[in-house]
Amino acid sequence: MSDNKMMSTNPESVVYQRCTIDLATGRADFAAVPCRNLEDVLGGFGRSFQILAERDVANAYSPENPLILNSGLLTGTSVMTGMRSYFSGYSPLKQSGTGRPGAMWSTGSGNFGNKFKWTGLDEVIFENRSEAPVFAVLRDGANGPEVELKPAGHLIGLTGHAKIMALAAEYPDAHFAAIGPAGENWETNYMGAVVMSTDNELKSGEPKSRFAGRGGMGSLMGYKNLLAIVAQSPDKLQKITPEIRDVNRDILKSGGSARFQPTSQGGGGGTWANIEVLQVFHAVPLNNFRPKGCDNVERLFRDEVEREFEVATEACHRCGIRCHNNLFHKNEDGSRGKLAAKFDFEPLILFGSNLGVHNPKEVCDLIHRCDLLGMDAISLGTTIAYLLDYNERHPEAPILNGATFGDYEKIAALIDGAGRGLYPELGRGVKRLSEALGETAYAMHVKGLELPAYLPDTNPGYIFAIAGGHMSMGTHMMLAKEGKHSLDEWVQAITSGGLLQVGYDMIGLCKFVGVGIGHDIIVRAVKEAAGLEIASADILASVRRAYLRGLALELRQGFHEHEEYTLPSQVMDDPNHKVTLPKFITHDFLAQLRERVWSVFKPEMEGLLPVLKG
Amino acid sequence: MQIRIKLYASLRWKLFEEAEWECTPGQKIASIVEQLGLPRNDVGTVLVNGLHAAWDEIVQDGDVLSFLPRMGGG
Repeated sequence: MSDNKMMSTNPESVVYQRCTIDLATGRADFAAVPCRNLEDVLGGFGRSFQILAERDVANAYSPENPLILNSGLLTGTSVMTGMRSYFSGYSPLKQSGTGRPGAMWSTGSGNFGNKFKWTGLDEVIFENRSEAPVFAVLRDGANGPEVELKPAGHLIGLTGHAKIMALAAEYPDAHFAAIGPAGENWETNYMGAVVMSTDNELKSGEPKSRFAGRGGMGSLMGYKNLLAIVAQSPDKLQKITPEIRDVNRDILKSGGSARFQPTSQGGGGGTWANIEVLQVFHAVPLNNFRPKGCDNVERLFRDEVEREFEVATEACHRCGIRCHNNLFHKNEDGSRGKLAAKFDFEPLILFGSNLGVHNPKEVCDLIHRCDLLGMDAISLGTTIAYLLDYNERHPEAPILNGATFGDYEKIAALIDGAGRGLYPELGRGVKRLSEALGETAYAMHVKGLELPAYLPDTNPGYIFAIAGGHMSMGTHMMLAKEGKHSLDEWVQAITSGGLLQVGYDMIGLCKFVGVGIGHDIIVRAVKEAAGLEIASADILASVRRAYLRGLALELRQGFHEHEEYTLPSQVMDDPNHKVTLPKFITHDFLAQLRERVWSVFKPEMEGLLPVLKG
Repeated sequence: MQIRIKLYASLRWKLFEEAEWECTPGQKIASIVEQLGLPRNDVGTVLVNGLHAAWDEIVQDGDVLSFLPRMGGG
């Protein structure tokens, strides 16, 4: 990005650096691109979706589907959490009823985003696909950014973490984004994640990676025969001015981030605490999102797990929000042993209670397997839960290895098989599996994306999420938190505050900052770290346009505005009375919700997409 | 009059899991949180007898108050 001072009215004064790499020829073209609008300035999916909207892509695995790596405005700055990088493309997993793929982005932290930004690039568009496996080196050269494609034969078959460590030996001042075996097996596994290196990982040699998991961006990378990306640059730490110091202090002091801090510092201990809160309402997913009211999930509470493991709270590079809960085995002498797994709410539930597995050691092992193979924990966990449910309902004709809930060893084998490309039934996601089996009522997905670990019975907002249920529509805990369940309240939540959650996936910060995207902290951060004066109202309007553009893109890709904006039918047809929260989601409720939300959104969506050529 | 207070997750770790609590007639939930010494920002959800309640709600003898920490993230 140029460092021009900018008012909200002239985004074209901001220029970003793009590199387009044709993987088929190896050619790289650099361009300085003036921003078209504030979405381009803020970056992330706000920019990448405008590029995707210019393409007519009928199949995710086709040369015309680009993989876009970009950063946000505050990536690489000294604003706390400013280290996000984004991977965007048409998803192999998210698919409309017409068969056309949906646009997706996925994002993660670690230090890769910083290093990428410090190469001098804001965006890389990977076009076409390479004939042979390669990795891309992006570096800060003497005369500006340089790129190079190198043979990656030595990386084939390695886990994501092993690829990262192999490359780290070769590129000591770099960070890395890699795929695991799942991404390499893109034909049979659509849920490959992009595995991103952290400082902790490179220093300790332990697999403490972060993941851009949702939507199969790692599988798209695998299709392109791009096994890894190296971002090589000396550290270019931005000076922490008194104003930026104040912004960072305010982020730490805000109640929003405090809940993610370690318990030893008076915080909530990260997302792990959600399990205990949701259990108050018997709303913790169990046995494929079907709590029974006596759920045995207490064994996964933090204090229970601490009896068996040492829990270490760690943070991303220079971040004061220590949100990672890494579990270590305890040696016989009580000292810290090997890393067991990272334990956060989503993988904890989706490889634990939702599969009928309650032993923390076994849950750790399942999470670890998924991470090493480089898969999205949400998509895989939710798809396996469906399979176990199916097998329990059909004991006479189970599928695959016949696993049912709680069959830890068989579940481990399913994870390994999916990651190695041996189980396309799992690797292609729950939508396709349930349709092939003819039992879709209890397949937990919306628009082909598997649901995260919050019951659909509690969140009709899922239907208007554009890139995964809880990361792109901030309504997933509204019912448990506030008890609100009227139609008016849900229309209001979806059409106002809920959609603004995606702003963090533009600007380069992590959602764990915990304040609204139009908050004064964000405005000050943009001003001090990027030198741009952008009013809160303009940020909010830009985020809203970016979200609505994503929604418009869904409709253009053939998602049916009624039939595909719905929840798994079990929610409406067989309400779970064990959950003590209000049961309000009926077919009629959803029909009215759709009508009212579309009536707000559709007029605003007009003109947001370019007309496709030809 | 007496009520029962239940705390969850980080709130439980800080104080206690469950306790009988003496309070005065007409006392509001906000003032009970203050008595407990819990920062209001730490409490995300309040339930009275299992139903969501507001800070200015007045408690009744025999009520069960549940305080849940703020939830977040994914």
